[in-house]
Amino acid sequence: MSKTSFNIIYVIAGIFVLSATAFKVFQPIQVLPRMRLAPAYQFINQDGQALTSETLRGHFALYSFTYTHCPEPCYNSSDTIQEIQSRLGEVNLGSIPVSFVSISVDPDRDTPEVLKEYGEAQNADFTQWYFATTSNKSLLKTIVGAGFETYYEDKGNGEFALDPGFVLVDGWGIIRSEYRYTTEVSDADRILRHLGVLAEEVQNSTGSAKLAYEAAHLFLCYAP
Amino acid sequence: MKTKIILISFVIVLGLAAGVVFFRPHTFHGTVIQSPEPSYNFTLTGANGDVSLSDYRGKMVLMYFGYTFCPDICPGTLANAAQALRNMGDKADEVQLIMVSLDPERDTPEKLAEYTGHFYPSFIGITGTKEQIDEIAALYGIYYKINEGSEATGYLIDHTATMMVLDREGYLKLVFPYGVTSEEIADDLKYMLRQ
Repeated sequence: MSKTSFNIIYVIAGIFVLSATAFKVFQPIQVLPRMRLAPAYQFINQDGQALTSETLRGHFALYSFTYTHCPEPCYNSSDTIQEIQSRLGEVNLGSIPVSFVSISVDPDRDTPEVLKEYGEAQNADFTQWYFATTSNKSLLKTIVGAGFETYYEDKGNGEFALDPGFVLVDGWGIIRSEYRYTTEVSDADRILRHLGVLAEEVQNSTGSAKLAYEAAHLFLCYAP
Repeated sequence: MKTKIILISFVIVLGLAAGVVFFRPHTFHGTVIQSPEPSYNFTLTGANGDVSLSDYRGKMVLMYFGYTFCPDICPGTLANAAQALRNMGDKADEVQLIMVSLDPERDTPEKLAEYTGHFYPSFIGITGTKEQIDEIAALYGIYYKINEGSEATGYLIDHTATMMVLDREGYLKLVFPYGVTSEEIADDLKYMLRQ
């Protein structure tokens, strides 16, 4: 084999090694778009205590929407939350707390006592899973309808028309993902994966990695 | 031959370094928002009549929620925003700061105009009914709570102290945390005005 052929082989091998190294070092950054600001609120929770949007600043918060008198068959978001809660150990969250907030759209009947009973029936861990609402119905409609963009309407016969779904909010109070449609991957799997992506973002939000993450937010806009 | 290789290598390294410096994306001091739709529009009252957010399409809008009796956070933030605009020279004409009052009971449009004018001539303050303020604050992620006060001191209001930047088309682009400096505000605004 000629010297030139050897050189070509060395160059190709070199490019291969460099490419593999670059692929490992510059792995595509997974980002969730910063969609819009989550609405601010002051609710009363299942213990009769105030639960505000500021209480959960610094937490990853997963919001769901429900009412306790929802007749069967009723979309039950609790199964998904229970699964996520039990599998949180699979995600490297560092020290970032995760909270679940189930907002009732029926404040007339869903008093703190009723919400507490409902939560107990779901085996909820009340240290991180809150059931809450506000008696200010007009503001509730603004917060859930316009803020979380979740449609609901009192049908007047004790039932509500309610679009089920989840909304994931980061520690800065920004909506990062919405889960409104059934996909091949279950909501629990997607939400857990997204919690991991957000935790990674927080861990890389300082130093030189910040530049890459901010650049990724400017140029990429997809949910992994 | 050896000199040629060294020279070419030097040019390549210099080119790469220049590329990194000149094409490096801007690192924002605020948090970038990629909202797919324009921000919620609303109309409140200022000293010269009704003011809608949409009146300022074509300008960059800095939006802040506060109140004139605020002892420390609001004046500090407004002073920083005013200094940022002074640092920007003529470009400051392309930016409008709007302060939305969280205290409609005490902040009249005239009082707001006098207060905001102390910081920067073009700053405006607007107010409305409590129901209007509740709705607007909720949709812009601004939590606020009126605390009980005394007759002597009056009441104070706890509130989210972020400042928002809306682009010329009314899209929410940036959220500044409390404590951002005038240099940092000016740096981000100047970059956004160039886009």
